[in-house]
Amino acid sequence: MTTTFPFEAETDSDQLKTVGTGAVRIDGVDKISGAAEFVDDIDFGPGLLHAAIVESPHAYARIVSIDTTEAEEAKGVVRVVTGEDFPYKFGMYMEDRYIFAQDHVRFVGEQVAGVIARSHRQAVQAAKLIKVEYEVLEPLLDPKSAVAEDANLIHPDLDDYAHVPWFFPKADTNIAHWRKIRKGDTEKAFAEADFVLEDTYTVPRYAHCAIEPHVTVSRLDHADRLTVWTASQSPHTQRHLFAEALAPLGFTHKDVRVITPYVGGGFGGKAGVSMEILGAAMATLVKGRPVKLRFTREQEFYNTYQRQGVVAELKVGVMNDGTITAVDHKLFWDAGAYVEYGANVVNAAGLSATGPYRVPNISNDSLCIYTNLPPGGPYRGFGYSEFHFGLESHMDRIAEAIGMDPVDFRRKNAIQEGDELSYGAHMNPSGMIEAIDKVAAAIEWGVEEETDNPNTVMSKGIACFWKAPAMPPNASSASFLKFNEDGSLNITVSGMELGQGYLTVMAQIASEILTVPVEKIRVETPDTDRNPYEWQTVASHVTWSSGLAVEKAAIEARAKIFDVIHQVYGFEDESLYLENEAVRCSTDPEFVKPLRDFVIDGIQTEEGTWRGGPIIASGKFMPEFTNANSDPETGQGGHPNVHYTVGCTGVVTEIDRDTGRVWVRKAALAVDAGRAINPDLVKGQIVGGLVQGLATVLYEDMRFDEDGKLLNPNFTDYKIPTAFDIPDEVVPIIVEVPQPDGPFGARGVGEHTMIAAAPVIANAVYNAFGTRIKSMPVTQEKIAMALLEKGSG
Amino acid sequence: MEFTVKVNGERWDIDAAPADVLLDVLREKIGVKSPKIGCERGDCGSCTILLDGKTVRSCLVLAVEVDGQEITTVEGIGYEGLSQLQDLFISNNAFQCGFCAPAIVLSATELLDSNPNPTRHDVQEALAGNLCRCTGYEPIIEAVLAAAEGGAK
Amino acid sequence: MVIAKEFDYQRPTTLEEATQILAGHPGSARVLAGGTDLVAWLRDDAVAPDLVVDIKAIPDLHDIKIDGDTLHLGSLVTFSDLINSPIVSEHAPLLAEMAETVASTGIRNRATLVGNICSAVPSCDAGPVLLGYDTTVHMIGPDGTRSIDINDWFVGLRETACAGDEIVSHLTMKVPVHGGVYVKLMRYAGEDLAQAAVGIVAYPGDEYRVAFGAVAPTPIRSTRIEDALRSKPLDEKLIAEVVAMVADEISPIDDIRATAAYRTRICEVMLERGLPAARERLDGTGPAYGTRLI
Repeated sequence: MTTTFPFEAETDSDQLKTVGTGAVRIDGVDKISGAAEFVDDIDFGPGLLHAAIVESPHAYARIVSIDTTEAEEAKGVVRVVTGEDFPYKFGMYMEDRYIFAQDHVRFVGEQVAGVIARSHRQAVQAAKLIKVEYEVLEPLLDPKSAVAEDANLIHPDLDDYAHVPWFFPKADTNIAHWRKIRKGDTEKAFAEADFVLEDTYTVPRYAHCAIEPHVTVSRLDHADRLTVWTASQSPHTQRHLFAEALAPLGFTHKDVRVITPYVGGGFGGKAGVSMEILGAAMATLVKGRPVKLRFTREQEFYNTYQRQGVVAELKVGVMNDGTITAVDHKLFWDAGAYVEYGANVVNAAGLSATGPYRVPNISNDSLCIYTNLPPGGPYRGFGYSEFHFGLESHMDRIAEAIGMDPVDFRRKNAIQEGDELSYGAHMNPSGMIEAIDKVAAAIEWGVEEETDNPNTVMSKGIACFWKAPAMPPNASSASFLKFNEDGSLNITVSGMELGQGYLTVMAQIASEILTVPVEKIRVETPDTDRNPYEWQTVASHVTWSSGLAVEKAAIEARAKIFDVIHQVYGFEDESLYLENEAVRCSTDPEFVKPLRDFVIDGIQTEEGTWRGGPIIASGKFMPEFTNANSDPETGQGGHPNVHYTVGCTGVVTEIDRDTGRVWVRKAALAVDAGRAINPDLVKGQIVGGLVQGLATVLYEDMRFDEDGKLLNPNFTDYKIPTAFDIPDEVVPIIVEVPQPDGPFGARGVGEHTMIAAAPVIANAVYNAFGTRIKSMPVTQEKIAMALLEKGSG
Repeated sequence: MEFTVKVNGERWDIDAAPADVLLDVLREKIGVKSPKIGCERGDCGSCTILLDGKTVRSCLVLAVEVDGQEITTVEGIGYEGLSQLQDLFISNNAFQCGFCAPAIVLSATELLDSNPNPTRHDVQEALAGNLCRCTGYEPIIEAVLAAAEGGAK
Repeated sequence: MVIAKEFDYQRPTTLEEATQILAGHPGSARVLAGGTDLVAWLRDDAVAPDLVVDIKAIPDLHDIKIDGDTLHLGSLVTFSDLINSPIVSEHAPLLAEMAETVASTGIRNRATLVGNICSAVPSCDAGPVLLGYDTTVHMIGPDGTRSIDINDWFVGLRETACAGDEIVSHLTMKVPVHGGVYVKLMRYAGEDLAQAAVGIVAYPGDEYRVAFGAVAPTPIRSTRIEDALRSKPLDEKLIAEVVAMVADEISPIDDIRATAAYRTRICEVMLERGLPAARERLDGTGPAYGTRLI
């Protein structure tokens, strides 16, 4: 292992009191009593205005004219907005979007105009009165046709777009970014391989389906300060993008404030900036009045981020002993009309498309391709779920072809600490083999299951996964911590409580160091004016990154506490320790000084003067070993990823041979959490993520018609799991091979638990019937029709 | 149109348009915010309320329809202190983001009122109309079964 | 979405008053019972009435009664009422089996059986089951009451024999000794509309009713399959014979919920599994009502 970590966390695990326990969530009473406030629940009084959006019915068209006269005169209307009001570009990693469409619309549902009215009904009624004339153009609806030589250019000005230095757009094409990895000599390795398997896998688009829709309330007050209440994973990033996009109007970061209460689920869909900029911009036109924009469920589906589709061309070479010698993975991403965030999904996948295996010769091409479909973007798994479908299907097929058990095959190639990664850096400590072994044991791999149902077949499947946080190399976290008079604590951070239990985990970390019980710690959701910086709550990185910031703040607070004791009593700092909310001293067992006695008021000296005062502390963390600079043609030279989390998923399925219905009778999922700060919450991620992943393979997918219109923008036809659609049994397995630089050894697990769900089902279907389905989703219909064809053919 | 409704034990005299949906009136005119706007077409269940003791989708009810009826939301269930079921939701981590949680508590409450000893299947049936994207349902089912074993409501 | 268009609302307390109100608003009034379809359609702008007539204040429409072998179901009987009714579970448990597949509790507490056949979408769950019985739909209109056979009820896609100024008061169904099954193809185990469905009722003397849902513009009965089954012992050969007829009896389409080919295939499977189950239930054996066969 070559990476050295500047900050080695405290990991004396034997004595941990709070970390590693299933502490009760600190947001529980809020959420179960109905007290938890989400953006839409906040009252803004009689001045609240409501916005409605006019959207493009065409996938690609030139806007000829917009007639707003009738809408402007409609009852209750305060202001009508079009692209002319905001001719400003914005974007997360690449500035390729406008707030409202300018001369062209590039997907069905793109925002063309907006209405601000006194009631929601009036806004909706008036929006229907806006007349937009379009010149309809031929849309490009799949990535392969968009990279054809003579394809129309969806963004002719691509070359002029500002972007991060690790993107490589190809001017005069629809390729917004091409992540290449070239390592070793794949050509030679394939020529020398005993067996080479090459095939294509396809994955459609998916929707996040957080139950809370996107909603934002924005107000420009009479002092020209813009406040935006938003259901977001990214308060500081939103503030930054609002301030940058609206800079031509005179805004600076100081003038923009983002407040994010509880968020009703994110899954990546509420990261970055999507519809929120509409509300923020519109509010600048009606000074003094808050403007609410709440997306309908339909808009939620077609005009927030979608998980991108991909066509994956995969070639893998192996030796007869099972050693993988070469991987060539070409990923053609259907990235949609705007890729300001989605291009980084493409980048992340390209860096890691070998999967969790030791591969000496690698050729990865991950192409971010513009299409006339809604913007792709972040989704739990960030590209990894998509390429694991083909990759882990392929691993089973290769194992079978060379006569090796798929579990043995994966064990043999499993990536381990110190192995070289595709971009030349080295793998962090990894419990990959332990995860495989524990999952195989949990589902009794190799033991045949029986059923007395004559219509069904039992089978098993297994698949591995890995994922690294995808972040800018300098993405940072920070925290403030302050004691209260009674020795309780307030901690402010700017990670978001999306449901994962982040607030509780931060409290546990501080509790461990300061011995203040979790029940006496309040961690609040952010307000960018008051809470310290956090890049975003994405990438499964906040337990690690924000956790380190909180750990550092707690350590700083502890040092200040010891300093006060030292000043007053003269004990050496090294002799002091905290126990049960009090300072103790190893050289004077009688000494006990409860925190509540002095953390605000200080301690009186013998002379009657005082020492100490309010104990406050801060902590920040930025990874200082990462580096996104690399050779554009080979991807070598940088260290773009901080670390990988690995794991394995296995299922026992029962499948109806006539209907194709799949019942998951048992699932086991092992993930290497490094250290589970709260094992119960890790289990929550395992069960929840697995169910979300199983849905993507068994029944969910976004369907578009031949004109690029989404056919199922609702839960009637985009089916997400109900209480009936879960495995009969889930065995959550936590592997703990500590992350050297993690807080108490922790690393993230939030996204990982859904990544292997798709291939594990495809593998189980194959193991049941010998039928390999290479396109997601693997629906009951697809299985039944494949079996019917096989039976009759 | 004027009508009268009891919400969590309090009488409200409301003036609403016939086209105003009960969910919006509860949230905007009565100030009860636990029924959430999730899909507005009866699919997700996050707007669930108890109407005369039975769960209904308040997004598919016109406000004027409930004249003379009684509505209970989770604010009412826990007013005198959280119910044992609510406590078990907390101790079982039977929620994550919490957006669907108030509605799910109501669906489970209705089940346990009519069937104090439900099977796992009964619990799944009672919850099947409440979509939760976070938990994978398992901890919710366990919380409801635990409440049943505890003989609680 | 918010209901954009405003409308008036009336709540009559007798059927006669309701029909008078409807007669006064030809073509521009809609009847509201459970509202689970109507309010969704109002939100979608799929209907835009000037007046909504809420019939829930009319007494007696909630009745579930049995008179000899005639079951009376009032037009406000909800799917939950069917599931919870001792009369239904004793005399026509198939209705409860069907009701349990409709949406979820929060919808079933509100949605009515009669509303389901009035909406008359191709996938309406009540259709294939009611077609399995001698069912009569009773209506009241400006000219008095009228009764029609369920076989004449479904006229076309979302179209019924009920005129705009008529209101269904109740259904009557002949429920002699019988066994039935309702088998419904859904995309997953949870709440879903039918991708295809089969209702089968077996009567003594090897007499069967067979109807399909979601594979034609309306729920449809297959009298050809019923004829083929009549007075013959139900054995594997006979089942295979009628299963082979399925493709010609239905006219499914490809849509977002399923392909026509899969619908056809599963109708065959549902008939193959459903016929013996219906027959066994007639004999008092067979899987308990509510057991899912696919």
